[in-house]
Amino acid sequence: MSNDPVKFWPLLIVTGVLVSFVVAGLRAKSQEMSDYGFSGRYIGRIGGGAAIASNWMSAASFLGMAGLLYLQGYFALAYVIGWTGGYVLLLVLMAGQIRRFGKYTAPDFVGTRYDSDVARLLAALISITISVIYCVAQFKGIGMLFGWLFGIDYGRGVVLGGSIVVCYVVVCGMLGVARNQQLQYFVTIVSFILPLMYLAHRFGYFWILPQFGYGEGIQDLATEFSINFSAPFASGSPFQWVALCFTLMVGTAGLPHVLSRFYILPNIRDARWSVVWGLFFIALIYWSAPAYAVFARLLEARGGYIPDPGAAHKMADIMVLKTAVMGGVPVWLTGLLAAGAVSAAFFTVTGLLMTGAASLSHDIYYRLINPRASESRKMTIAKGGTLVLAALVLLIALKPPALIAEITAVAFALAGNTIFPAFLLGIWWGRANRHGVIAGMVLGVVITFAAPLAGNMVPLIATLFPATSSAFCGAPLVILVMVVVSLLTPPPSDEMRRFLAEQVHGHLD
Amino acid sequence: MNRHEEHEEKYVVNLFNPKQGYMRGEVVIILAILVGWGVMNFGFQAVLWLLAENPLGEGIFTRLTFFNLPYHFWFTAQFLPLWFIILCVIFNVYLDRLTERHSRRRDRTYE
Repeated sequence: MSNDPVKFWPLLIVTGVLVSFVVAGLRAKSQEMSDYGFSGRYIGRIGGGAAIASNWMSAASFLGMAGLLYLQGYFALAYVIGWTGGYVLLLVLMAGQIRRFGKYTAPDFVGTRYDSDVARLLAALISITISVIYCVAQFKGIGMLFGWLFGIDYGRGVVLGGSIVVCYVVVCGMLGVARNQQLQYFVTIVSFILPLMYLAHRFGYFWILPQFGYGEGIQDLATEFSINFSAPFASGSPFQWVALCFTLMVGTAGLPHVLSRFYILPNIRDARWSVVWGLFFIALIYWSAPAYAVFARLLEARGGYIPDPGAAHKMADIMVLKTAVMGGVPVWLTGLLAAGAVSAAFFTVTGLLMTGAASLSHDIYYRLINPRASESRKMTIAKGGTLVLAALVLLIALKPPALIAEITAVAFALAGNTIFPAFLLGIWWGRANRHGVIAGMVLGVVITFAAPLAGNMVPLIATLFPATSSAFCGAPLVILVMVVVSLLTPPPSDEMRRFLAEQVHGHLD
Repeated sequence: MNRHEEHEEKYVVNLFNPKQGYMRGEVVIILAILVGWGVMNFGFQAVLWLLAENPLGEGIFTRLTFFNLPYHFWFTAQFLPLWFIILCVIFNVYLDRLTERHSRRRDRTYE
């Protein structure tokens, strides 16, 4: 990648899109100011859904998923299913209840529900860790994208891209740019699907809905080149598939920056329906991702160039762009695709760094260290925290441990092993208490990092709790421990149990 | 769970033992949706495994095609996300009605 030329037009389009987000954000801000105090801006269910989807779309959805499908075929569909099915859990088990509970962040909920500073601190540290791991995956995507755009190697790409994303966050923060998530979603989806339509058209497949058109591609791969793209268990056993899928599902339902999305709409009913729209908008991308993988395989096979596994693994995370280039997609369309990927990664980083920094300044510094801190002091801590977290992320991302989607999956495993059980029992079992939740969250952290740290020594750990899929055996175990420890220790306060019974579950009785 | 029990009776919150009223109706639909969610997703993978004719997992479903896609690939990649959307819609419609019924009974305007 190091001797490639600078991609001038794509670079220009990427810059243009990023700048236009700032301009749109500034205009929205001045409009909001004039409306202020009148009615506010009601975005409705569809708008709320687009906001949920754009909050969700990251480099993992945009680049990582197609890359894994390209490498692993059917096995990688566990990501598609895990990241959509998780929203069902989120909607039916949590959305309405956490809203009625009225605490918006994971540490706030855990700290209040279990009335414990230790539990709050644990939840805050876990949230920050999740943000950092998730961000590392985004930085890997950013590094590869900038490497491609500027024709430099990955190391320099990630330093350059990382610096630019931090500057972008800082500048947007200073100007007070409002995030227009509807616009973001629109750019993401158009930039992802247009090149796909072009490619399907060129192959002579059904191009109006390339989500269906790629089926012929799978068959052509099988008949022309006897490449079996769709064999179910070629890249992993059924146990591994189910474990990965389940982990991503419970992780989705426990991810702090997703949980806090239920408060942007004025009432619970709209919030519930916006989840449905959000899921639909997310599915639009996930229905399309396999098409990139199939087209990439087909282009390689027809071009007579099939990379060895090492080379394929190395470029899998930027396979979406490579496919567009290989397939002769016009340069402006490739630029748009790159712009979609860059903005998905940029806005995810913005959201994650802010969530992490807010945990640092509010839940750790203000609640536990200095309760009399002024607002400006808290802001300073949050800003400093953003930079420290970004530096940490950059350091880890210089030597990325795995593929984008795999790194992200570890963040989901952590959320599924800790935050998900804490919320689930916190909402649905009044008897769960602070001792239970502390024991459960500590165990969850241990389980998540057991395989990466000790998997080589004890093969059983690596089998039962694989790094990307540890919540399948982990989350039930954590829930069991929480139940047992809670029953052995005194119940939570009467006020909390009454609040749960009367406000959270009995608001209409 | 012994001497506390009597005292706890009043404010008990338990997914598997919901109290009468709104919560019971809510829990019924939640459990129904979760069954639909688990059976279709994990059940299909189990069927795929049972019908596998070789270690790669090829079998009747991988040979059949639907919309030009191998049937199992279509089911997992395209139908399951759609199924999740359908489940969410069913849940919301049911919960809307449940909430309206209980709101009317309480003679209160909707939320």
